[in-house]
Amino acid sequence: MVISILAILILSSILAGSFAASRRWKRLEAPNTRVVLSGGGTGGHVNPALAIAEGIKSREPETRFLYIGVKNKAESVIVKKAGYELRFVSSEGYPGISPSFGTLRFLSKLCLGIVQSMVMLTMFAPKLIIATGGYVSAPVIIAAILLKKLKIARVRIFLHEQNSIPGQLNVLMGRWVDKVLLTFPQTLSFFPNAAVVGYPIRHSIVPIPSEQARQRLSFAIPKEREIIFAFGGSQGARTINRAIVDALPYLFEHRDRLFIIHGSGLASSADYDAEADTQRRIDKALSREQCSLLKEFYYRQDYFHNIEDIYSVSSLIVCRSGAGSLNEISRIGKPVLLIPKVNLPGDHQVMNARVMKSAGAAEVLFEDTVMENGGLLEKLDGQVLAEKIIALIESPARLGHMAEMSRNFLRRKAIERILSEIYGDMRFTDGNGGNGTPFRDLAANGCLLQMLSKAYSVSGRNFDPACVVDDPDDLAYYQHRAAGLLSHKGWQDRNLGVKLIGLTRYREKIPTLLKMLSDRTPVSRMKRLLGGDYEQVGFIRRNIIHALEILDHFDADVEKHLLAAMEDPYFEVRAQTCRTIAHFGRFLAGNDACISRVLECLEDECFEVAVEAAKAIGEIGTDWTAANALLSMNESHYWQVRNASLCGLKQMIQRGVVDASDELIERASSFILTSTDFRPHFQIKETYAAIRKCPNGKVQ
Amino acid sequence: MIYEICNLLISLSESFSFCRLVNYISFRAIMSALTAVIFVFLFSRRFILFVHRHCFLDQVRETGVQTAFDKSGTPTMGGVLIIGAVLVSMAIWGNWRSPFMLCSVAGMIWFGLLGLWDDVSKVRRKSGDRGLSERSKLFMQGLFSIVFAWICVGPYAPLGSALATKVFVPFYKYPLADIGPWLYGLFIFLFVIFVSNAVNITDGLDGLAITPSIFVVAVLGIFAYVEGNRIYSSYLYYPFLRGAGDLTIFGAAFVGAGLGFLWYNAYPAQIFMGDTGSLAIGGTMAVVSVLLKQEMLFPLLGALFIAEAISSQVQDKIGVRWIGRRIFFRAPLHHNLQHRGIAETKVVIRLWIVAGILALISLATLKLR
Repeated sequence: MVISILAILILSSILAGSFAASRRWKRLEAPNTRVVLSGGGTGGHVNPALAIAEGIKSREPETRFLYIGVKNKAESVIVKKAGYELRFVSSEGYPGISPSFGTLRFLSKLCLGIVQSMVMLTMFAPKLIIATGGYVSAPVIIAAILLKKLKIARVRIFLHEQNSIPGQLNVLMGRWVDKVLLTFPQTLSFFPNAAVVGYPIRHSIVPIPSEQARQRLSFAIPKEREIIFAFGGSQGARTINRAIVDALPYLFEHRDRLFIIHGSGLASSADYDAEADTQRRIDKALSREQCSLLKEFYYRQDYFHNIEDIYSVSSLIVCRSGAGSLNEISRIGKPVLLIPKVNLPGDHQVMNARVMKSAGAAEVLFEDTVMENGGLLEKLDGQVLAEKIIALIESPARLGHMAEMSRNFLRRKAIERILSEIYGDMRFTDGNGGNGTPFRDLAANGCLLQMLSKAYSVSGRNFDPACVVDDPDDLAYYQHRAAGLLSHKGWQDRNLGVKLIGLTRYREKIPTLLKMLSDRTPVSRMKRLLGGDYEQVGFIRRNIIHALEILDHFDADVEKHLLAAMEDPYFEVRAQTCRTIAHFGRFLAGNDACISRVLECLEDECFEVAVEAAKAIGEIGTDWTAANALLSMNESHYWQVRNASLCGLKQMIQRGVVDASDELIERASSFILTSTDFRPHFQIKETYAAIRKCPNGKVQ
Repeated sequence: MIYEICNLLISLSESFSFCRLVNYISFRAIMSALTAVIFVFLFSRRFILFVHRHCFLDQVRETGVQTAFDKSGTPTMGGVLIIGAVLVSMAIWGNWRSPFMLCSVAGMIWFGLLGLWDDVSKVRRKSGDRGLSERSKLFMQGLFSIVFAWICVGPYAPLGSALATKVFVPFYKYPLADIGPWLYGLFIFLFVIFVSNAVNITDGLDGLAITPSIFVVAVLGIFAYVEGNRIYSSYLYYPFLRGAGDLTIFGAAFVGAGLGFLWYNAYPAQIFMGDTGSLAIGGTMAVVSVLLKQEMLFPLLGALFIAEAISSQVQDKIGVRWIGRRIFFRAPLHHNLQHRGIAETKVVIRLWIVAGILALISLATLKLR
């Protein structure tokens, strides 16, 4: 009784409350437009929101804004500086679909955030919600959708997606919002109701004549220099900072025609202090004499407030491929060398870089993920960067073309397009894609492995990963992604990385593979009891050796490690080593050390190894000792070993090392001891197969 | 059916006294075996053609062993034939009031249907590796096992509450311990799931699963005969289980159906039993041995199945997934033997011999206690 009364009371109060709220909403929306902005986490999400706000303000100066963000993120600094009202909700990044504690925490934070946003929205009663993505805007959008469904709010929701690959939460919420506004036409396939508008650039970044910009700079640049501007966003990127410093020694000889402007970034956390780290690295990389000459062609500053001036004077820009930077650079119309940040959700920086590259406006270099001092580190080789820069500078025609393409890359008047979508006045009606080239997805690692190994099994020695992948830049990216896997904690990931490095023919990583091969860090005692041995588990070592075969590269170092691997505790490694030695037979034939090791393998306790060793001897044996060793296997218990010995002998005869004398034939006849296996065949299936193969048949 | 009719006739008139024959378990056992064999002979060719026409063919599967020729395309789901033969034979010769028989038939049908579902989904998805997911298979097996475990230790136990939770071990006359309904129920639950999967794993080469199963079921049938017979059971110090004799008839029907199936399944196979057959056989064997209190004999009697299951699990779960190396050359056991260069026929016959020896040793435990 009491409970039912209570329930009725609660229900009626909710109804009354929502009725009151919806009345209030109607009343408030009348006098002047109220807009909620949301989105953040990084500056790349905040700036477009502010740019749109500026656009709305210019059309309706009386508009009131409320920015909803998350505490202690980029928005708390930038928005405050821009002077908008700022409130915080709770939210967290989407941890992925697999259930875990992370998911639970994410869901509880999201629910709390939704309730907070519902209260804020009801209090503020906006007419428009502009969300710019990131997990920050998720609770706001969900709350707004709920209020809409409950008929409390009459609000229109717009979601702007900056990247070419949308975040998972954005894809999910894109179904319910009024319109999704896109930067790249390639993203259209993700959303049913979307319009391509471009990237709203907030700062008044406009191209300035080079001479005028040069005079506005706070530092002097000598005449007749190609100016290179390298930076990694407002906080700075460690990879770029370190790579540009590492490139300095290689750029030194070109100092009379280059000038490097380096924006090192504001980061000064315990983890990474941009300015100090860069200075330390310079002191290490250059001699004192060089340091004194450095000023002639190198200028560093942590942050440039007048970034459009720097953009305008440069001939080439080196930076990350965040959507913001790409569009700003494109506004100025400069060629760019992109170093996308890898290991991000959906690889969106890589995708952005691909889009700009395919537009002909950019070149791409990928960073490596390496293990250094026990920690993971993204890294780009300074020499590679220097060579790339020089190559670009030395072909002005190419740079000119890239600049032209860069200018065309930008979808101009983004803010106007967005406003026309928001107000529905269709001032720009060509926002539905235009030059949306079909979008080719990057393959996931597992899929790539399947594709490449299939191609390898078909074409063998003529295998070329570039034919399978098509685009050399994609291949380069796959190679770097595979290399990134090598330093993962789970051995399954490392194993996948090893296989992919082989199949993508990433020869630069051979030293790393060899280092892994000889790594003898033991696994936990429990695993050792069950038969495990080292951290680089048996499969990894076996696959490293197989990868060496696929990589098809032979040198003294490889030889040394192959010889060592023949004593590996795991039988598959030994067997694979013998197979690889047979593959490199042309280099190893007659190599005494190698032959004696393989002959030892012939006596291996595991028959698989003996089989492969016998075949390998056929490839590398050069005299009668090897042939005699093979002939002495005639009473081996396993028929496969006997068979392989005969195969080896046959190979030696064909190579002309031994000749098929009567004595040899006589001795070989003793091999035909009974075998426990045979190969039966279905005659009827063979007849059928013969019909299929008929030349005038239509089937293959 | 005939059992009921004959008993009715006997009660009606003296002139039907020859019908007393049906009260002899041995007679009904032989007849049910013959019925099952004849059923299989009558229907299998038509069944094989039917399966072939409807394209329920075996799908390619990655085993890692280089086989001599491609076996995909052989009609599968032969288990339907086995189950059908046993059901028909039991319908004619069985005593449907015996709880022992009802439990076994229910187990066979449940696991058979589960296997059928798996087979059909494999054919639908055109891949031998993508039938039912391991999880849903385990769930369905667990569902039956829970109910069965409850029947065995609960108030309606066919063995009677005095025996229900006692553990018997081979080579020892008296019950070893009474471990209580919970522990014993848990044991039954795991045992049924394990054994049914073990047969499923064993079913990898032509005739490999069926013959050892025939041995196992035949031995269990003999045990059922002894335990269901008041004189023999007291002579051999077995607990007397009233109605267990009906399991002999069930076992005999199974042996008959198995022999009939082997006729067609022998190398090179014209039909495979598929998961339908292997799960049904495994489920039945597990249920029967639990009902006869011979679950502790099974590790000896069905050691082949257990070795196959354990080698496969150790290789996959410990070796390949966790430690990152192969522990055996290949798994399960029969693929390992093949990989060592023994021809399929030889592997199969050698494993038959092993299963036969195990069955003989298990029979010896009848007296050696």
